This record gives sequence, C-alpha cells and structure tokens, in this order.
Amino acid sequence: MSRPFPLIFLFLSLPALLAGQIGIYQHGTVVRMHMGECIGAGHGFMVAFGGPPTPMSPEPCPEYTLVSDHVVFVIVGRMSNSLIPLAQTIDFRFHKNELAVRVDDAKHEAKFAIKEMTVRSDWDRVQRHIAERMKDSEDHESEVRLR
Amino acid sequence: MRNWLSHRFLPLFLLTTVFAGHLIHAQTTQRDSEGSSASTYRSSASEVRLVFFATDEHNHPVEGLQQDDFAVVDNERVIRDFRSFSRADLIKLDVVVLIDASESVLPHFKEEIADVHQLISQSPWNPEDRLSVLSFSGMGAQIVCSGDCRSLFIADRIASLSAGGATPLFDALEVTAKILIERKQPDVWPVIILFSDGDDTISKAPFHEALEKIQASEAQIYVVDLNSLGQASNGTAILQRIADDSGGRHLGIGQGDVEVFNSVTSDLHSARLVTYALPESGSTFHSVRILPTHNLTLQFRCRRGYDRSGSSHSENSP
Repeated sequence: MSRPFPLIFLFLSLPALLAGQIGIYQHGTVVRMHMGECIGAGHGFMVAFGGPPTPMSPEPCPEYTLVSDHVVFVIVGRMSNSLIPLAQTIDFRFHKNELAVRVDDAKHEAKFAIKEMTVRSDWDRVQRHIAERMKDSEDHESEVRLR
Repeated sequence: MRNWLSHRFLPLFLLTTVFAGHLIHAQTTQRDSEGSSASTYRSSASEVRLVFFATDEHNHPVEGLQQDDFAVVDNERVIRDFRSFSRADLIKLDVVVLIDASESVLPHFKEEIADVHQLISQSPWNPEDRLSVLSFSGMGAQIVCSGDCRSLFIADRIASLSAGGATPLFDALEVTAKILIERKQPDVWPVIILFSDGDDTISKAPFHEALEKIQASEAQIYVVDLNSLGQASNGTAILQRIADDSGGRHLGIGQGDVEVFNSVTSDLHSARLVTYALPESGSTFHSVRILPTHNLTLQFRCRRGYDRSGSSHSENSP
C-alpha cells in the first residue's frame, strides 16, 4: 500500500536527478532581486514560444538578475513565493521556454519565465558605466555639501 | 659524535619548537580576539547595521544560524559579503515602553499595566541595558522614567497612572524616536514596546512622518494591540504596519501576559546583528529584506528599509 509513494517521489524528482547526473546544469549567481510585475500575456522574452497566455497574478512576483559566464538572464517567478535560494552559485538549465533552477539542495526545480537575456560582456560594460555615473554624482554631491 | 650533537641540541630544538608554537598561538589568538571584538562593534560611515530574526518552518527561532545561511537584498542588490555577524544579545538594549493611557483603552488599562509590570520586573535585563517608560494621552507624551525604570518606586508610579483623554499616538512615537536618536550609540539596539489600540485621535504629526522618524531611529517596535482579538479595525491595521515596517512584531493583549512577555523576551535573545558595506545606490532610501541562501523554509524578519541620509548607518567607531 505504501509502495506507490516512493515511486511517485522518484518519478517527480527524476528530471532534476537525471539533469544533475548528466551534468547539463549551468552555474550562475543571483546579483539582484526585486518584487516586480508578474509576467502575463503579451510580456516576456520567450512569449512568442510560450504557449497559451497565463493570467497575471495580483501580487508582485520576484524578479532576479542571474549572471552566468556568458549570458545574464532576468527571470521572473510565477508567484510571489517563487523564491530562489540566494547562494553564491546556483544551478539552472533551460526547460522548454523557461529556466529551471535547482532549489532546496537539489530535491526539486523551480521554473522561471525569462524576461531578458544579455551577453555578459555587454552587461558588464553597462554596469561599469552605471557605477562611474553614480560615483560622479556622489562626488558632485559631496562638493556641493562642502561649499 | 652524532650522539653528542643530539644530546646537546635536542633540548634546544625542543625548547625553540615549543616557544615558537606558543608565539604563533598567542599571535593567532590575539588576532582572533581582535577580529571577534571588531566583528561585533566595528562600524563606519559607510556601514549598514541590521538586526534580524530567523525562524524555521515551525516558527521557532533558529539557533545555529550561520552567516552563509542568508543573503541581504539591499535596494535590489544581493549582498553575501558581511563585515560582521553576531548575536544581538551581545549588544546593549535601549528599551522604551510606550503606554497608551487614553480614554479608548480604559477597558484594558489594568491588563496593560500588568503586562508592563511583568516586562519590567521579569525580563532578564543586563546591567547596562536602558529602560524608559513613557505614557501618552490628552495632548502629548509624558516621561514616567528615563534610563533606569527597574526599581520598585517606578513600578508604583506606573501603577498610579490614570487613563483618559485623546490618543496622540503618532506624536508619542515621534517623541520616542527623537529620544532614541539623540542618545543613539553604535553598540546599542533601540527597541520600542508599544501598548495601544492604534486609534490616533489628536496627533499633529501625520502617520507617515511618525514612520519616517521610527525608521531613522532604527528601533524595532513590538506592538501589544489592545483591541479585542479577531476584530478587524483601522487601529489594528496601523499597529500591524508599524510593527512590520520596523521588523518588530504585532501581538494581541488577548494572547495573555505570559505569551506577550515570552514573545518579546525570546525575540530579544534570538536576534542577530549583521553589518555590511553600504551599497552604492541612486536613492537615499534603501529597502532591505533577508532571504535564505539554501534552506527555503527559513524565514527572516528585519526592518523594511533605512534612510542613507539619516542616521541609519553608524558614524562613530568606538
């Protein structure tokens, strides 16, 4: 009677286990996070390939900037509680039109919609530019305060 | 010849080895102790100090929390590199108990005073902790005692407080925040324990101004809601917001003296303090939240933000 449960568990965790063993996961670091608009109909990077539109959630959804070696992704959770563990390195893989992120010590994966994709070198250049502008404005502020 | 050498130099060699070992150990210990003291008290103008609470899926405090178990999201930026991480019970408390003595709380006034008594007399205060009591009713807040309110004499004064008049809640919160800001020190954790029904009737200060002042004081607010449990009211919503924004807790008077007392004291002893470098940002207000790095069942509670231009980051290095 209790036999089906281990089988169901095995079946559910099989994709993550298999992916882990085959080594198809990529690695990345979440550097930014905020609660933003949920991705609904007519939004999203892969919406053209994304199948039927999903209704927008009334609550905000978490949006993460995930930096990998060559690509920077902006991904959005399906619900307000779709959280990614903010470890230094997380494992993820493409799954259909979404990003599957390994969570909770690899017991399962969570799926996130891809909102944006940027080449890492371009993203680095933009970040450097933003940092320089911020430093300039801070220097200007402190000069004004000294006067 | 070999025997002679070994006899002559072996003791010298052993002595040198032992002393070198001691020397290295002493230097390491000194460095460690310097490191640990610095990890608790080091602060600078560009440092953020955050007191927070961690609970598990059963809402129990997490005892063995490590600094790689969580990350701070400060104005969207994920921060994992912390300057220090320690238990907050190692730092001193500056607690202000704020008693609503207005007419609207008359039905619960005796209960309120009993709770205040219990908190003052039974909490495991450290000798260096400060405890002040303020009451508010009519046109403003009155200081019952400031600094050391743990004597029997003060208990009598609290017991003899009379209730009546309007409710200047927001003004009282502003006054309390100002007091805490004036005597703020980097190694002192400000806490407000507010007993009220949240129904302000006369304050000059609007709600948002009171919230801003509390934010600037960095105080955590524990609200003991004097409204009946399960009754939705505007006052309860306001009190809930005050508690949530500050990273404190909202408790009901109906939960009973013991529950209120245990909740507050267990929080004060399970809190953690983390410090990190102030991240660059275009705005002066920084929103903050803490999230787990691997165990998603962990819950974290802290204030919702701080103002970089205000006194939210420490400026003194003791």
